[in-house]
Amino acid sequence: MIATPPIRAVPSPPVIELVDLHKVYRVGVELVHALQGITLTIQENEYVAIMGPSGSGKSTLMNILGCLDVPTGGDYRLRGQDVSRLSQSKLALIRGRQIGFVFQSFELLPRTTALKNVELPMTYSGVRHRRRRALEALKRVNLLDRAHHHPNQLSGGQKQRVALARALAQQPDIILADEPTGNLDSATGEEIMAVFDSLHAEGQTLIIVTHEDHIARRCRRIIRLIDGRIVLDTARGDVWSPTTPTLTAAPAGAPVPSSTEGTP
Amino acid sequence: MRKLGRWLWAGVLFLPHLIGSVVRSVPTALVQIWANKIRALLTVLGIIIAVTSIITVVSLVEGFGNYVTNFLRGLGTNMMIVYPEWVRGPRGEFLRRAEMDIDDIHAVDAGAPAIRRTSPLVWSSATIEYGRQQVTNVQLRGTNEAFQPIRNFYVDAGRFFGAVDVENGSAVCVLGREILRKLECDESIVGDYVHLDGQRFQVIGLLESKGSFMGENQDETIIIPWTMAVKLNPYARTHLAFYVEAMSEPQIPDAEGQLVRILRQRHGIKPGEANDFGAFKQDQILQQFNQVRVIATSVLAGIVSISLLVGGIGIMNVMLVSVTERTREIGLRKSVGARRRDILTQFLTEAVVLSTVGGAIGIALGYGFTHLASLHPDMVEVTVPLWSVLLALGFSAAVGIFFGIIPAFKAAIIHPIDALRHE
Repeated sequence: MIATPPIRAVPSPPVIELVDLHKVYRVGVELVHALQGITLTIQENEYVAIMGPSGSGKSTLMNILGCLDVPTGGDYRLRGQDVSRLSQSKLALIRGRQIGFVFQSFELLPRTTALKNVELPMTYSGVRHRRRRALEALKRVNLLDRAHHHPNQLSGGQKQRVALARALAQQPDIILADEPTGNLDSATGEEIMAVFDSLHAEGQTLIIVTHEDHIARRCRRIIRLIDGRIVLDTARGDVWSPTTPTLTAAPAGAPVPSSTEGTP
Repeated sequence: MRKLGRWLWAGVLFLPHLIGSVVRSVPTALVQIWANKIRALLTVLGIIIAVTSIITVVSLVEGFGNYVTNFLRGLGTNMMIVYPEWVRGPRGEFLRRAEMDIDDIHAVDAGAPAIRRTSPLVWSSATIEYGRQQVTNVQLRGTNEAFQPIRNFYVDAGRFFGAVDVENGSAVCVLGREILRKLECDESIVGDYVHLDGQRFQVIGLLESKGSFMGENQDETIIIPWTMAVKLNPYARTHLAFYVEAMSEPQIPDAEGQLVRILRQRHGIKPGEANDFGAFKQDQILQQFNQVRVIATSVLAGIVSISLLVGGIGIMNVMLVSVTERTREIGLRKSVGARRRDILTQFLTEAVVLSTVGGAIGIALGYGFTHLASLHPDMVEVTVPLWSVLLALGFSAAVGIFFGIIPAFKAAIIHPIDALRHE
């Protein structure tokens, strides 16, 4: 199906399986239906963009996918394990071991070296050889020479790469990135997206929440939410068909990376 | 029962995790404190004051305590001093001293089986001259040959006067070491002559060095036969005091009872009337000292509890501020796998490290003050007892735990999503 061969060859259950997922918030006396029945399957090594206007429920979906929150209805299976009704402390363990977060504003600990920042999730999950694994992760994002720098000595793009290394170090089942280029200029954003592309090529499952088309364009699959429902779930090739009404057409001559192009 | 056991077992299994978590949190805590040095210092001021007071006061009280104990041991543990009391008039006013003479002393010596020996004591002062040197207002004690064993205070050069010198009222004297120093002479003075209030005395011995007690330097003493002392001071002949040595320490109450009975009888005191003499025992010195110790300890406890309270509230305040400031950090930590107890441990460790750093500064200051106090020449020897250091550290850590638990709990229960949204 996908041009780049998956590195994990063993057949396994889908990484993410959502069945009729609901999330209802109570705001005062009113009930807000943030998610109204999301059914979604994400396979190993998919490269997914989640898009949608604000209020569409994409942040809620992101929080539930990241095990930061639990749904009020429906099922969420992460690698076959039902995680929709777990306790806070079990969820914390899953976040630590199976999910790598990348945030818009990097969220690195100040006064802590890049290396220590990358080691942080592993201190909570109690993994061994933390230092070695952190160094390997930094090497993958090309920042080995900045391992002992503090965040305030790093540029925005470098900070985000450290954050990526932190997400990577434990070889999580999914990497969840929330507007990863939102705080970066376009050139640096490109640089970060290039790292995402290469991770995808290495077989990593990636989910990126974004509202920028040119970011979404680099993914293999785009899921669009409006009012808590999936209104579009398409492989990238379809997105740009002029008959798709929900997305703005790409500007003429917009660069489409051809080297990593997948089959529609 | 089984459930309790399982809980305990779970606790034991959790312990290594807890210790590991605490140990990992300490460097973070130190970095945080270092990043906010001034704030941290101001926060722990109360704890610094508390710990400094604990160390200083405990060391001084202990120092004096050791000193008093040693002094009492030096006096001879079975000793008391009996002296004529003031006679009071009908309105309680002091009229004159009651009388006590050598026959009273002999009677006590002969009639009280619990008393090993007695020794008269004439208490006055004199000016000593030797060559061109002169020392005024020196303690002059008239006593007899039993002084040495009773007071446990011996000559270490020359000899003490004997029964014959006392019998004859010889003009001989024994000098304390401090007198020697003030007269600027060495042990060659033994055999030589000095003048005491103008009268010629031969120096026959030198007392060993004993140090001072409560401002009274025991080495600045001249001892002469009491028979000679009453010649210099005739009033004392009928107003003698005397040392009493009991057979043993437990027999001191018996000895006191016996001598009271004998003296009351001899002085014709009717039942119901007060004694016209007093007995000064060592345990009175101890009691007086213990009163001082109790006062010092309660003042200390007051200072310490107030400053610990202030320090604890300071820590709680600063930790609450810190939790708010670092909400995003908490969110991040939670999103990368920190559980509530990890966050709780982290912030609790920070509070404890903060208060313990305060405690450590206080201990250093306490050592400093103690050292400063011991520089004074009349100061007794003081050392900081180890238990006071441990106590102070324990107190500061306890304050950290007690006042850190609420902020830490607040940090632990923050929901990661809210925390990451926090501005």
